[in-house]
Amino acid sequence: MGTWNKPLPRPTDTTRPYWDGLKAHRVRLQRCEECGRWIFYPRPRCPACASRKLAWHDVSGEGKLYTFTVARIPTLPEFADEMPQLLAVVELDEGPHLNTTIVGAAPEALRVGERVRPVFDDRPGEVTLLRYTPVGSPHPGIIAPGPAAAGPETTPAATPSQPPKRKVSCKDLAEMKSLVSTEWSGWSNEFLVSQEIINQFAALSGDDYWIHTDAVRAKAESPFGTTIAHGMLIQSLASRLKLPLDYEVVDFTNIVNYGSDRLRFMTPVRSGSKIHARCRTKAVEQVKSGVQVTIEIAIHVVGSDRPSVLNELVMLYM
Amino acid sequence: MGLKGEAALVGAAQYKPEKYASAPRMFHLEQVADLAGQALTDAGLELRDVDGLVVHGPQFHEASMFVPAIVAEHLGVQLAFAEVVDLGGASSVGAVWRAAAAIELGMCSTALCVMPARMAPSLPDDDDVLQAMKAARFGTHSTRFGAPEAEMDLPYGHMAQNTGYAMIAQRYAGVYGYDAATLARIAVHQRFNACHNPGAMFYGQPTTVDDVLGSRMVADPLRTLEIVMHAAGGAAVIVARADIARRTRHRPVHIIGCAERIQSKSATYAADMLATPHGPVARKAFGMAGVKPTDVHMAQIYDCYTIAVLLTLEDAGFCEKGQGMAFVRDRDFTFKGDFPMNTHGGQLSFGQSGIAGGMTQVIEAIHQIQGRAGERQLARHDLAYVSGTGGILSESNALVLRGA
Repeated sequence: MGTWNKPLPRPTDTTRPYWDGLKAHRVRLQRCEECGRWIFYPRPRCPACASRKLAWHDVSGEGKLYTFTVARIPTLPEFADEMPQLLAVVELDEGPHLNTTIVGAAPEALRVGERVRPVFDDRPGEVTLLRYTPVGSPHPGIIAPGPAAAGPETTPAATPSQPPKRKVSCKDLAEMKSLVSTEWSGWSNEFLVSQEIINQFAALSGDDYWIHTDAVRAKAESPFGTTIAHGMLIQSLASRLKLPLDYEVVDFTNIVNYGSDRLRFMTPVRSGSKIHARCRTKAVEQVKSGVQVTIEIAIHVVGSDRPSVLNELVMLYM
Repeated sequence: MGLKGEAALVGAAQYKPEKYASAPRMFHLEQVADLAGQALTDAGLELRDVDGLVVHGPQFHEASMFVPAIVAEHLGVQLAFAEVVDLGGASSVGAVWRAAAAIELGMCSTALCVMPARMAPSLPDDDDVLQAMKAARFGTHSTRFGAPEAEMDLPYGHMAQNTGYAMIAQRYAGVYGYDAATLARIAVHQRFNACHNPGAMFYGQPTTVDDVLGSRMVADPLRTLEIVMHAAGGAAVIVARADIARRTRHRPVHIIGCAERIQSKSATYAADMLATPHGPVARKAFGMAGVKPTDVHMAQIYDCYTIAVLLTLEDAGFCEKGQGMAFVRDRDFTFKGDFPMNTHGGQLSFGQSGIAGGMTQVIEAIHQIQGRAGERQLARHDLAYVSGTGGILSESNALVLRGA
């Protein structure tokens, strides 16, 4: 995924021992030497008795899942690669609550109150973040930096071993109309929208606005915190996404792409995101020169419920 | 101790909540002047009567400091009492009790409480959309060096209200149990109320429990139709001393009880996420007013999320802690029902005009008590409970209001 472009903590003189502890894969908490209260986040005075006599102690870092949610829309665009985000509050055995994320667990298996253990995430480099996983999870206790297993640029479509496709003749209007459905198809293969592809599209189209191409300026000034792909690029990448349809239209001499009834760029696609698509047939109509089919294609960032592109594509079978 | 009920709400005005993109743009000073003029006309008072001001301070467009002075200068009034509030959604209720307290103390006699919430005009060369998106990027989360939320929340993606309230709801589910269809009733009943309120954003758009349950999951277990929609708007009310209130055009609405509690910015750091700061608020406000929860004729409950309403109803004492689901399942919250609540539609269906959202609840209570609520008018309408909530159950307050 390249460099870590999510917001990073900037330790203060007061909080530095906590972050230094995480870097050494230890959870350190302050305890008030006067009233015995454990404290998070770090402070110069005890929030219970205002004493300055606070001391740092190593603790197990274990606790209970106090609560969690499954965020279906990225809380910040930089987190689109984590979708859905498993945001959680952990209650440490010593008492304090802290904000974290859960790794190595399916959202539907999580239970309020279950035991969790720390996972030290070294990926940001300059700091280590404290994530959590259920105690029974096989997830390693440390997430090492470096590129995640560099997978191929595209992955196979969702249904690798497909049954023979139903052949639908475009001459048979009733059968063609039977394709109309409100149900979405399965997901296509995934495709990585790299900065290289965005740059190539910028050069080709002439749209080289900094929000797409200037990573340094985008990090500083863009509302998205990083460069984003052109909407038109994502729309055209539909050709790279193979939809797992269980039918095949036959008996035509030509297909014409008539354009689009509706094209919307709903949410940005950050550089480095993977996209995939699904579709459904909205309408089938007999027109003078053939059969006109309107297919709604939804392109999403992988893991995001909200589409990035919605395109109602009109095709004419002649 | 507490208020003696010598101050009354006597006038109100608000802009209909509208989508930001199509709402008129106005400078905040001009909104303040316009809303003040409308609210004073409603009361039958004049600008020269105003000697007190409570205004929302943060995000005031034309000034980041000295907000009361610039407002006084613009209006041409002399202030004997000026206060800036910074309580998020609890700012409106907070403004009203501050005005009442100042009047009872003799600091001023007639106070304007005002919340401008339309966007200001932009210069032709401003990149408006980009600026607005950039400003909204981190919501109300500070990104400054040393800010606890910048250091402990944002690196993990903890941001904004939706996921905070969702985690509260999930905790509730784990501790007391959760029934999504029951929570949906709150949104549905309030929408019914809004469909009898031409001033509501969702007027003419009835909804059903199935619609709510079929709306998109945003952060489990919260769905789109349980989450308030931000809008442009603005509101003002006039609070006056009893002798002045008697000279106004409508029935004075006396402020007989109030309380406020501020706990923590992030609900994460509350000792018990489900014990909202509203518990002590309600006990104190009811105690000050000398009435019980069962005495009130209507509840106008701050409703940024359905779960916020459920917790407020419990902590206000309308039902026991942990019994909220059964209470919501058994009650009818419409203006025709046995527990009239958010009779204007609530912010979920009236619209949440930014910082003025909480004022919609105050103004509905005024209109009901004054007998001016149109088709939604309650038969018993003398005593109202109004709650305010800011942040993620961070700030909480309440008013008990009684018609003269």
